[in-house]
Amino acid sequence: MTLSLDSIPQPPSGALTLETPALAVVDLWKAYGNNQALQGTSFVLNQGERLALLGPNGAGKTTLIRSMCGRVRPDRGQVFLLGKSIRDPDVLLQMGVIPQDLAIYADLTAKQNLECFGQLHGLRSRKLKERVAWALKWIGLEDRANELTKGFSGGMKRRVNIACGVLHRPRILLLDEPTVGVDPQSRQRIFDMLDELNEEGTSIVLTTHHLDEAETRSDRIVIVDHGKVVAEGTIDHLIESTIGTQRQVTIQASGLLVAAPPGLEWDSEKGRFVCWVDNVADELPGILERIQKVGGVVLDLEVHQPNLHDVFLHLTGKELRE
Amino acid sequence: MIWTVMQTSWRRLKNNRSELFLTFIVPIVFFSIFAVIFGSRDSASSTPKIKIAISDTSGAALSERAVKLLEEQKSLRVSENSRSHGASKEGASGASTVSRSAAEDLVRRGMVSAAIVFEKSELADSANGLPKIEIMTDSFDQVASQVLAAIVQKAVMTANGELLKEKSDKFVQANAPIPANASMVKSSLPMNLVRTADFNANADASGASSSSLSQPPTIDVVDVIGGKKTNPVVAMYAAGIAVMFLLFSATTASGSLLEERENSTLDRLLCSRLTMDQLLLGKWAYLTVIGSIQMALMFTWGAIVFGIDLLHHLDGFVALTLVTAGAAASFALMLAALCTSRMQLGWVSTIVILSMSALGGSMVPRYLMSETIQKAGLLTFNAWALEGYNKLFWRELPLADLKLELAVLLGCGFLFIVAARLFAVRWERS
Repeated sequence: MTLSLDSIPQPPSGALTLETPALAVVDLWKAYGNNQALQGTSFVLNQGERLALLGPNGAGKTTLIRSMCGRVRPDRGQVFLLGKSIRDPDVLLQMGVIPQDLAIYADLTAKQNLECFGQLHGLRSRKLKERVAWALKWIGLEDRANELTKGFSGGMKRRVNIACGVLHRPRILLLDEPTVGVDPQSRQRIFDMLDELNEEGTSIVLTTHHLDEAETRSDRIVIVDHGKVVAEGTIDHLIESTIGTQRQVTIQASGLLVAAPPGLEWDSEKGRFVCWVDNVADELPGILERIQKVGGVVLDLEVHQPNLHDVFLHLTGKELRE
Repeated sequence: MIWTVMQTSWRRLKNNRSELFLTFIVPIVFFSIFAVIFGSRDSASSTPKIKIAISDTSGAALSERAVKLLEEQKSLRVSENSRSHGASKEGASGASTVSRSAAEDLVRRGMVSAAIVFEKSELADSANGLPKIEIMTDSFDQVASQVLAAIVQKAVMTANGELLKEKSDKFVQANAPIPANASMVKSSLPMNLVRTADFNANADASGASSSSLSQPPTIDVVDVIGGKKTNPVVAMYAAGIAVMFLLFSATTASGSLLEERENSTLDRLLCSRLTMDQLLLGKWAYLTVIGSIQMALMFTWGAIVFGIDLLHHLDGFVALTLVTAGAAASFALMLAALCTSRMQLGWVSTIVILSMSALGGSMVPRYLMSETIQKAGLLTFNAWALEGYNKLFWRELPLADLKLELAVLLGCGFLFIVAARLFAVRWERS
């Protein structure tokens, strides 16, 4: 996956157009001693898009994220935010960063935390007050605004953590595993909040270890491994371009089967017959008939639709958490 | 069960290098540091000398001889400052003495621990050629005044003995032939001259030599600084304790920098409009203000409860407190920027601050340390801060006399914050 500087739509004379990518990562290289963390990583986040960034542990995700928010100086390559280099003063203010850790002050109240980060992002007086009030309502903690955050539940802390990064209305939001250690209800709440922001035009980059989050909460997926982008696109595109769209049918059968029915393979590991079909409704009756013809009785049947997990395993050879 | 608890505890300790270091190595490090600071007093070469000034306006031969003997004393050092501070006359021995007022001024400014004054006596003693002897002390150095009285007494008695011996020699040479049996002449001399004849002129005054006077000379000891104070000891120790705790509280607070780094708050802060310069300066300003309030509270308490005269030294106190708190804040930030974790900061700061406090005089007055360690103490900013507060509250000197201490503390503060900034570069962009 390569992306050159010329291939990124540049705004004419600095003006921002709809074609200008919200974020463009161009040929990033970074080494820590002998460890080459990034090896020419490139991808684009379009305006208003939700992009999931996936990769196994050690793939270079953290270095990539830190490069995107200007906290790591790459050996080579550039990062552009709305057409401007992140080295440009003030351009980083267009970005909101939500770290994986709870980067809030536990000994400040929710309101005080919001005020602190709001001020650091340039909000003052009435504007600050308005945004803090909005944030408290947005995260559903208006009634606990004056309580110290150290007394909050994990999910509540996560919500304050996110709110601190969006107070200044960033155009691009970078979330590093925003739902780690959060119960399903709070996860839902957090993603509802993010959807709200996205509807208002915020472009979102999300790294996660939950494949279901990536599948359901993103418009596009970028998979990184060994410091490079190994695949990118919509979930359908990824499936089609890697493992294909055929469903896997697994059948457990009994009876005196002298040979595998035509079109089915015996999976000795699973102890079942396996086959791939394009259309389940059309092809499945024929398969069952073939089994019966050779004297088999179907005990169990499973149809598996290819998903992101299969794509990920196919591309990286690893589970996401490895 | 008990064995399991013990075993688990030991394994946890063994797996935690910092704790292991704190448990077994730090005590040895501390012991070594304190042994070097206080143990080196036993070494003869580095035993602290008492710094004195001498004023001799008596014109008496006895005092001139006593001054010469005092200058030869190994345990004393006649201040070089006395030679440029109102030198009054060149004695026969080549000794430079100063006027009485100049000597007193040297004591008041802390440039010497005490001054010895020989003046013409209007009392009966003058008939015997004995001048009036006075020792002006600074009770800040409580040891010097007591030791010095004995040394002066000894020197005067020795000088008197030498003079009597010279007189007796002249008397014998001028008035009588040398007898075959010297003991007969000896028995014909007055009692005090007999003692003089037996006197060993080269005897060390600190040794157990014989005296040359039938009665020890009268020496008046006057405390020129502490004597007027209602509670002099408090003024001395308030600064020492205050500076040490200022450092401890500043380093504890500076740990927030490491906390922010550990939980990624630093990343978030630096992704905002905030720069590392602003972050460090903000923390420095906060620590300086908190440190100043801490010092102000401590001295106000000292003024209310223990009678420290804060009100009459307010200008000097404000100036000195601000630069001291500023230097402590810079030092704390430098340590924080140097360390990689709060735990590391904890034990590094404990070792460094206690060592600096011991060396700089926060725990034990520096005059009790050997000369080498006293000089080494000047490398700590505690010593300069304490000297400043002592000048202010103990010697009651005006703000203008604190220039050197203020300059050194300002310089330290600047150097430390620059060092902190350089160490923090690694956090800006990896």
